Amino acid sequence: MNRGPFIFLGVFLIVATSWTFVLFKTHQEVGQLTTVLDEDLGKYVPGKTTGAAAHGKEVYQELGCIACHTQQVRVASGMDIARGWGERQSVARDYINDERSLIGNVRIGPDLSNVGARRGEMNWHLLHFYNPQINSKGTNMPAYPFLYEVREVVGEASANALILPEEFSPGEGLEVIPKRKAESLASYMLSLKVDYDLKEAPKSNEIMAEELAVALENAQ
Amino acid sequence: MNLIGNICSSLFPDLSGDSKNREAVRGIDASIRFPLLALIKSGFVWLIVATVFGLIGSIKLHSPGFLADWSVLTYGKVAPIFWNTLVYGWLFNAGLACAVFLLSRLGGNHAGLGVFLTISVTLWNTGVMAGIIGIMWGEQLPFEWLEFPAFAAPVLFIAFLGIGTWSLLTFRARIHRSSYASQWWILASIFSFSWIYTAAQVMLVCMPAQGAIQTLVNSWYVQNVFGLFIAPLAFATLYYLLPKTLGTAVVGYKYSGWAFWSWFLFASFSGIADLANGPVPAWVSSLGVIATFGLLIPTTTMSIQFLSSLFSRFSVIWDSATARYLFVGCISFQLVMYHEIFGALRGSLETTQFSLYDSGVTQLALFGFAGMTFTGAIYFILPRLLNKELPSTSLIDLQFWSHLMGLILVSIGLISGGTQQGELMNESTAEALVVVKTMQSSFYLTTIGMVFFLIGALASGATYIGIMLSSRTPEESETSLIKEAPELEYSAS
Repeated sequence: MNRGPFIFLGVFLIVATSWTFVLFKTHQEVGQLTTVLDEDLGKYVPGKTTGAAAHGKEVYQELGCIACHTQQVRVASGMDIARGWGERQSVARDYINDERSLIGNVRIGPDLSNVGARRGEMNWHLLHFYNPQINSKGTNMPAYPFLYEVREVVGEASANALILPEEFSPGEGLEVIPKRKAESLASYMLSLKVDYDLKEAPKSNEIMAEELAVALENAQ
Repeated sequence: MNLIGNICSSLFPDLSGDSKNREAVRGIDASIRFPLLALIKSGFVWLIVATVFGLIGSIKLHSPGFLADWSVLTYGKVAPIFWNTLVYGWLFNAGLACAVFLLSRLGGNHAGLGVFLTISVTLWNTGVMAGIIGIMWGEQLPFEWLEFPAFAAPVLFIAFLGIGTWSLLTFRARIHRSSYASQWWILASIFSFSWIYTAAQVMLVCMPAQGAIQTLVNSWYVQNVFGLFIAPLAFATLYYLLPKTLGTAVVGYKYSGWAFWSWFLFASFSGIADLANGPVPAWVSSLGVIATFGLLIPTTTMSIQFLSSLFSRFSVIWDSATARYLFVGCISFQLVMYHEIFGALRGSLETTQFSLYDSGVTQLALFGFAGMTFTGAIYFILPRLLNKELPSTSLIDLQFWSHLMGLILVSIGLISGGTQQGELMNESTAEALVVVKTMQSSFYLTTIGMVFFLIGALASGATYIGIMLSSRTPEESETSLIKEAPELEYSAS
């Protein structure tokens, strides 16, 4: 125990083993996945986030939304399915297009992997970022007023001005206009939905039955 | 003018009437005085910064309107700044200060290369500063404890290599061939951090792995920063300072090697348990659970060593500021390991997953175990380095008690509050708003705890300024102020 090289070698072996087993082996197993063809949708899934949503993803990262929101649905434990946060387990293939993983591990707010399916309206999100108390009274999510511009109404009100309830309005003759970052972030929220199936993550029987019922109703 | 004179006499104490033995030790201390003071000073500054951000973040959780107009202070930026300043600012500086002091004292030799070490330390703190500004600027990466933007990483890495090289050279230059447990822990921690940091940066930033693997790399890294770097430095400090402050050798010292190797083996695999049921293969988290249970072996060994030593001289604990801090550090270690080991069990993990429980345990580990141990060590080092007494015992008391109060409140707030949150979130379909409402009292408790932490941090800053500026009493410049037992320096090696 008296020699530096002995300690060095021992610790090196331990850390190297840990790296090999935990990171390298997993990387070999599930770290080189590719997109798969979804025959129902007629495209390769998962798709890439593009356009305004891709910019919104950067805003999401910049503002540190990951400090409170995850993007992963679990089936084996928790209440994610019952809460309507998703329909199936999130698996490694769902994330292969993420250059920076936004999976997260803290939930002060709800999971967002399917927020686009739950809340499909752009306007809802724009109001929510301006002041979360408008749509979810009592939440501890912070407001992001710096993503908006409050300006005087000159002539007619702008087409993209937020329609605010009276108690949240900035005042007579003023309007709230979302900046580009707010719009992109909202687009990103709308893009967050897992609307494709993967063989490795089958949906539960209950959800399949529900889907079948809806399909039958539509057919009639 | 007088204050400047006092600072000079702090940095270059001219002492008469010193025995030969003391002179050798003084020579060693003199060679590391500047870098060590740089480490301690930066550590205290970052501790104050970290607690300020911790307080802001904690207030935001119950009063979301607080400072909401400032984009640089939104919760998503404040939270990572808090963790990163706490880890890379306070604990790295304080832990490395202990490492530098221990390596030189135990080596019994002039370290030399003081300038090189000072430059490395300055570079490190520049990197931390750049990282924090980067997060505020909006350049943060979405990886826990690695939020610093990509440009900060090379600076930190080079600075760390500098400090690591210095440590290695100092260890090689030792005059005693045998080595003491503290030296193994320090060397091993420095080797490990260089590797895990490289592995994480390569797999996350330089050549990013696929999304799900990134989460795994991140968890592995976070647990290893604590398990293979911060905790080993705290163990090193305890192995050295317990005999020093208690005046007795560590009980059962011969089992230290066993504790050392088993800790490294199990700790390096343990962090991945909390990925259970996520998008990674199931065996990964099972491996993590097994490894976490393995930690029972070194934990038990070291707990017996540390606590038996402390209890064998229990009366000394309240007489010595350092021993008091070490005592709380050891108790926190017990609590942290209890939560880590039993918290990794499937049942408890499924309850607490994604809640603030983890944050509570981590703060208990960082502020309680590592923070208390390092603070105690700094109060041991400072008087020896400057040959002055600590300026005020009431300041030290204030820091000790406020730090302890903060620790109790924050741990209770986050650990019990987090468990409650987890139960509602993972075991019921209660509305998100109901969960927030239930958590309110825990959030307030955490805020009060953070205020105590801030008071403690300010008191430690005041102590540092006080000892640097105080004038040297005639007694302090003439005699050996600190009565040490030199035979304990290299005890039981």
